[in-house]
Amino acid sequence: MSVMTSTTSFAPELRQRRRPSGFAYIAPALLLIALFFIVPIASLLLRSVLEPTPGLSNYAELFGSWTYVRIFANTFLVSALVTLLSVIIGFPVAWLLAIIPNRWGSVLFAIILLSMWTNLLARTYAWMVLLQRTGVINKTLINLGLIDQPLVMVNNLTGVTIGMTYIMLPFIILPLRGVIKDIEPGILQAAALCGATKWQCLWGVLIPLALPGIASGALMVFVMSLGYFVTPALLGGTANMMVAEMIAQFVQSLVNWGMGGAAALVLLVVTLLLYAIQLRLFGVGRIGQEGQ
Amino acid sequence: MTVPFLQIRGIRKEYGAVTAVDDVTLNVEKGEFLTFLGPSGSGKSTTLYILAGFENPTSGDILLEGKTLLQTPSHKRNIGMVFQRYTLFPHLSVGENIAFPLRVRRLPKAEIDEKVRRMLKLVRLEGYEDRMPAKMSGGQQQRVALARALAYDPPVLLMDEPLSALDKKLREEIQYEIRRIHQETSVTILYVTHDQEEALRLSDRIAVFSRGVIDQTGTGPELYANPATRFVAQFIGDSDFLKGVVAATSGGLADIHLGDETVVTGVPVHGKATAGGNAAVMLRPERINLSRTAGTDRAGIAATVNDITFLGNNTHVATVTSANEALSVRLPFGDTAINGLTTGEKVWITWDPATTHAFCD
Repeated sequence: MSVMTSTTSFAPELRQRRRPSGFAYIAPALLLIALFFIVPIASLLLRSVLEPTPGLSNYAELFGSWTYVRIFANTFLVSALVTLLSVIIGFPVAWLLAIIPNRWGSVLFAIILLSMWTNLLARTYAWMVLLQRTGVINKTLINLGLIDQPLVMVNNLTGVTIGMTYIMLPFIILPLRGVIKDIEPGILQAAALCGATKWQCLWGVLIPLALPGIASGALMVFVMSLGYFVTPALLGGTANMMVAEMIAQFVQSLVNWGMGGAAALVLLVVTLLLYAIQLRLFGVGRIGQEGQ
Repeated sequence: MTVPFLQIRGIRKEYGAVTAVDDVTLNVEKGEFLTFLGPSGSGKSTTLYILAGFENPTSGDILLEGKTLLQTPSHKRNIGMVFQRYTLFPHLSVGENIAFPLRVRRLPKAEIDEKVRRMLKLVRLEGYEDRMPAKMSGGQQQRVALARALAYDPPVLLMDEPLSALDKKLREEIQYEIRRIHQETSVTILYVTHDQEEALRLSDRIAVFSRGVIDQTGTGPELYANPATRFVAQFIGDSDFLKGVVAATSGGLADIHLGDETVVTGVPVHGKATAGGNAAVMLRPERINLSRTAGTDRAGIAATVNDITFLGNNTHVATVTSANEALSVRLPFGDTAINGLTTGEKVWITWDPATTHAFCD
């Protein structure tokens, strides 16, 4: 793997050489970012260790209470499930989008984009209607004789997982489609002639080549899911709160900025950790080059 | 008679109203190097893809050692293929690429390692096992692709313009390698190219494709000396065509009027030749003579010198006939006819009718 180290050690040099002059021109933009991104985050984090009294009391309370830990556990469980389902459902769709003729591809693409552009609340309420006790899904299943009692799919984590998977799908399909489209079709034909069955082509060639796309899409979905508010608030019950709802309660109802900031920091640290892991495994912009 | 090794029987392939391959029939001997030569869109690649199983023919059959291949999916055909574009698995090293077909066949590891080593030796890339494809040149990648395609000892190796992405120098080097590998392995090779020089250099036999049909199949010298159609005559080697009118035909030979005064007698004729019909007479630049004075012993035509280019071992003289048709003459170095020749000069061009061909529509 000496090959890989040589690329990584070479790349920063190149980037350095290309750094543009005229720093003054981008100063306003940097100032804007500092003012509206860095300052609020820093102040929120500061409040988490300063309010109500300086120290780590907020964190101690957060990790010491079974209720809060359970909320974190719920959040990670739901986010992981949503990510897994998005990958499982999104991969074949992305594959289809990458290979079908352009005309059909653009129709399918438009449907996915349209769902993404439709108001989030409208889509979430639609799921409420579909999933409720007397909703279409339960009625159909009962009429088919598959179940006797309606399934409870709202006001719990099942509903949240279903609703969020639906919302997250475009975020994994779109990047994956790009990665799969870049795979030379001859590579799969070559694999077939080499004697690989469809299954061996999928696991031995297609998935390894798409892995950087899967990883970046999955990371995006997971991180977005961790902090998602609307869908858990509407489809989840009060008994199954997620972290974003908890932060909202701390800040809005309890006016406890310290606890809110602490919870936010925990999410941020987890996100950065995951990002670091991905960088380590796949690097920046090495998609399709060396894979693993 | 024994069954031919590979039989392509009346293959047709239609895409809607377009016929890409139109009734292609061909027998291939075991160990033969056969090239499909033709311009793009002539059906040569489609035929190859049908052999690989990526396309199904509209009708016709393919038999390998007497058994049809059409019911067998690509991955069970056991056929090797090297593609035009680079198709090495980018996430696998060179060694892993070559091992891939052996691994999917679940061969024991020791056997795979041994085979990978032998294949790397065959394509002269010993020591490159751990290299990633992205770190190799195009020529090296195609050699690895060749090693991968031969690793499972396929009875037939298909090659679809494997050298078209390489520059000329490298191309010639790898052509030599391919020849050597063909001799060492005696694998049957079906090779697709649009480059006549490549076809002549590599092949035992060449099948010339034009608009979905095979115009002619034969060795390079056969095609060059006796082209069956005008297309073959044009595609293989340099040639010029003079418009003429058939005067009389007998037994595959024709007498043809060229202009008003010249009649060429005893020209081998192809196509439907009828007296009074049009014919195109093919002349090879190196098989015609140029002289200052009209002779009577051979067929000839008057022309005007347009341009003289010295090319080392030969001199190329571009002339124009009185009917305003271009006619090239290639004179070997040392030919005295060239001495003192100037542009604008009237010359007399002669040839042996038996070495030319006439094509009728």
